Amino acid sequence: MSALTAQPAPTGSRSVPRRRPGLLAPLRWEVRKLRAQVRAKAVLIGALVLPVIVVVVIHGQSRPPKDTLFGRFATVNGFALALLVLGFAAQWVLPLLTAVVAGDVFASEDQHGTWKTVLTRSTSRGQLFWAKTLTASGFAVLVLAVLAASTIVSSLLIVGHQPLIGLSGQTIPAGEALRLVAASWASMLPAMLGFTCLAILLSVWSRNPAVGIAAPVVIGMVMQLVGALGGVEAIRPFLLTTPFEAWHGFFADPHFTGPLTEGLITSAVWCAISLGAAYVMLRRRDITGG
Amino acid sequence: MRRTILVILAALVAVVALGSAVIATSGDSSTVTRPRLERSLTTTFANVYAEQARIQGRTGVTPASLHAQAMCDKAGAENKDVGPGGDWNCLMSWTDPEVPMPPEGYGKFELNVHSNDCYTAAGPSKLTGFLTMTDARGRTVTNPAFEFDGCFDPHSSNTPTGVVFPSLLNVASTVVTPDAHGRAGLQVTCGSGDQGCAGSVAVSAGDTKLGTIPFRLAEESTATLPLPAAVPAGTSEVTFSVRVDTGAGPPKPVTLPVQGP
Repeated sequence: MSALTAQPAPTGSRSVPRRRPGLLAPLRWEVRKLRAQVRAKAVLIGALVLPVIVVVVIHGQSRPPKDTLFGRFATVNGFALALLVLGFAAQWVLPLLTAVVAGDVFASEDQHGTWKTVLTRSTSRGQLFWAKTLTASGFAVLVLAVLAASTIVSSLLIVGHQPLIGLSGQTIPAGEALRLVAASWASMLPAMLGFTCLAILLSVWSRNPAVGIAAPVVIGMVMQLVGALGGVEAIRPFLLTTPFEAWHGFFADPHFTGPLTEGLITSAVWCAISLGAAYVMLRRRDITGG
Repeated sequence: MRRTILVILAALVAVVALGSAVIATSGDSSTVTRPRLERSLTTTFANVYAEQARIQGRTGVTPASLHAQAMCDKAGAENKDVGPGGDWNCLMSWTDPEVPMPPEGYGKFELNVHSNDCYTAAGPSKLTGFLTMTDARGRTVTNPAFEFDGCFDPHSSNTPTGVVFPSLLNVASTVVTPDAHGRAGLQVTCGSGDQGCAGSVAVSAGDTKLGTIPFRLAEESTATLPLPAAVPAGTSEVTFSVRVDTGAGPPKPVTLPVQGP
């Protein structure tokens, strides 16, 4: 490979000065591969269509699902319904949505035996790692945005935009409620990216897309379970699922954002450790076989 | 394969070790505490109660005008009032001229508190109404005060509110059933409250005084008090007058029918 890159550029074809391609070239390739993937497209379409079905079904219920936060008003208030769906999505849907791409992005090269091929293009392992990580993160942002927009718009159109009763019993006017609901969906991003990083680590380590996709979801559900237990609450700040509940503070009066800040730190630490381990694993890996 | 199993095992051991270390060093670190719950519950309740009044078309009921005060307690006298669970009880008093408090001065709310600092509270229907209510225009709507959800800031103040309410002593028996020797017992319950219940019950069968029974109960407990004397044969009713020194009791004497042995 080094012998190839040391050769002078073929003259006449292009007058661009010869240099090693930056991050942009592998990133473009990764995005192109993702756009060709049926699974990723199916996930995006699902994120767009499924919330509408869920909203219609819940709206048609005669008894509201009262055992979930905001479920009490979900059949009569669009904001409450959007928050009910949010609470449900945070349980396992968001980790799954991001893991579908992030858990596969490295392992698929193993599955297809294409590591050697991609690395013979003049790009380093580091560049390839960051290109794949950025692609997976970008997909997480995209799928969250699609899911949030679809849920909020369908809830408001189908159920309506009545004033919402908040978590301190206060009445929140519709305009303020819309802003808070959107902020709540946006507050899912840090923990979701944390799961993206975790899925990347599992993808690199296991070299198996099934593990990369399923394991983050299972780990997320275990963390959810542990976090709900009484008596072991000291462990809650370290769990990657705790930031998924930081939005509760937006609906209290006065607002509180302490859990949001803590959640940002938790997510960042999980992401840094996962990505660091994944990077080291990929750099040290001996890729000589098929 | 061996390597995979080893890595999984190592990860599990690390997680368990880290978890136990965190739990061992932190002790009772739950953010669910009595003062936070008391503050949050009164705020939330005052808001939903004022909303209920607004729906009914009443004016003059505002969250501030209610002066809601609460005392919360988790699972009986001997347990610490910390941590999530479905066994939280809160006694709450508030001022609404149209809905006076019962003689003991408060209503009892049952709370299910989760580890994520959110809770569901259900109030006494006598004071807060039922699942649905009629609004000012005669339509049936959901009653916001029947059951409500709330969340509190885990970093909010944890200094005690100092609100205390007395335990309520209730006569649980509905009949007096003497045995062949005329011996009988009276079942009483002592509800959530500050100090438990203590006092005496004066027992009379018609004009005959049967004596008094002293009692001392911990909060959230029941007891069967033996009658001080045999119930005379042919008695149809026994009257119990409760005098409480600690706690609150039924203001009027309780008369129970006698059921033959």
